[in-house]
Amino acid sequence: MRDPYEVLEINRGASKEEIQKAYRKLVKKYHPDQYRDNPLAKLAEEKLAEINEAYDYLMKNGTAGGDRSYRSSEQTWDTGRDNTDTDSFFNQVRININNGNLAAAEQMLDQTNIRSAQWFFLRGILFQRKGWYSQAMSHLQTAVRMEPGNREYRNALNTMNNGNTAYRERSGRYAGRDADLCNICECMVCTDCCCESLGGDFIPCC
Amino acid sequence: MFGYVLPDKPELKIGEYEIYRAIYCGVCRAIRKNHGNLPRLILNYDIAFLALLLSSITDDKLDIRSERCMVHPLRRRNILQDNAILDYAADMDVLLSYLNLRDKWQDGRSVASLAGLAALKGRYRALMDKYPVKSLIILDKLKELALLEKSRCASVDQAADPFARLMEEVIRYGPACTDENTETILRWIGYNMGKWIYTIDAFDDLEEDIRRNSYNPFLCQYDYKGQDIGVFRNRIVKDAEFNLIHTLDEIAKGFELLDFKRYKDIVGNIIYSGMQKKTENILGRGKAT
Repeated sequence: MRDPYEVLEINRGASKEEIQKAYRKLVKKYHPDQYRDNPLAKLAEEKLAEINEAYDYLMKNGTAGGDRSYRSSEQTWDTGRDNTDTDSFFNQVRININNGNLAAAEQMLDQTNIRSAQWFFLRGILFQRKGWYSQAMSHLQTAVRMEPGNREYRNALNTMNNGNTAYRERSGRYAGRDADLCNICECMVCTDCCCESLGGDFIPCC
Repeated sequence: MFGYVLPDKPELKIGEYEIYRAIYCGVCRAIRKNHGNLPRLILNYDIAFLALLLSSITDDKLDIRSERCMVHPLRRRNILQDNAILDYAADMDVLLSYLNLRDKWQDGRSVASLAGLAALKGRYRALMDKYPVKSLIILDKLKELALLEKSRCASVDQAADPFARLMEEVIRYGPACTDENTETILRWIGYNMGKWIYTIDAFDDLEEDIRRNSYNPFLCQYDYKGQDIGVFRNRIVKDAEFNLIHTLDEIAKGFELLDFKRYKDIVGNIIYSGMQKKTENILGRGKAT
């Protein structure tokens, strides 16, 4: 195990509050939602596991108490649907995307003539994994327009939009800008973390 | 197409800026040592970033010394002394410059580029021998790019893909890829770096490409029909901004996962601040209008 203080990027002898603050900041940074549909997702997951381990260690051995506000959870697709032909087709596409077999997924999507909301959604996810963000965006938007009630599609669209906000927010550290907007965001995310640990949810996508 | 990847100098600490300069000068020196004087004129900041990034994740000892150099003989400068990363960056600079000149020559037949080509040809052959696989991949990507441009590809993402893959290959420096994870992260950073450079360059060139009637993916994707350039630019700027900032976010995600041995703040300054400001500047935000 690496030095937990180093992992949490804090000084030795940091107070419980400082540890918690550093922990929350890092969890937010490496949260699976930030890395969803991204080739680095697995690495972020490992990093988060290390952060959790360091945090648990410090909480157990340093100060008392301290519940983790986030636990690592495997990002899985909803694959338990009715077994119609279309669904098993799209399930296969999802499995390919999950396994990083993008070429196979792309070929399947190109060859079918179905153009359902799910098709646009998966094509969007695929584009995102490839790094084609403009195309990804327009496909996800189409999917949401076709099926506005679908949470999965909406979440994917929100995640894409949030990425840009998150980048600008973090850039404050290097650019020394006015931090007001950052504070608002931080507040919202903290609220979200608190709500989640109590069983509620403030920001539905994370 | 080069020279967009810059630090945000006012936000760097003085010592950090000195290190950045030392690396930049180090690459310049390595070019002279390995390839002669002429190619030094074409050293650019994107390659300096490559050398910085690779130096920041390896832990070889770096030797920085204060010396005079031929380009700026009056002032002493800190210069990073010769090492394998500087050699690699110098090689990539010369290889890409040669191919860039060749592209320009085939495009517009400018005499200046022909002169440059003749001078670099020998170096290019030597580099083909030194990096047989890498140079073939790079050539292949440039061919792909030329085909897309010829067929007037109407997707910015697609048009940017070959150059993005080219950078993915350039950034994938063997000795820095100590494990599979590092390689995955470096490749993702490289891909998005290339994508950002290609895309911002295309946006930057809008006016010139309209004037010269050259291919530009933005003109094709958003169906430019001779309207006022200002109106057109306003129509597409939001989409372009989304794409560019999202690309920067993906670079930043890679950055956050990399295991840095040093200079993390300098690399962070470039990724989070320098490139963001450049984006805003070229999109026309940073200016007072």
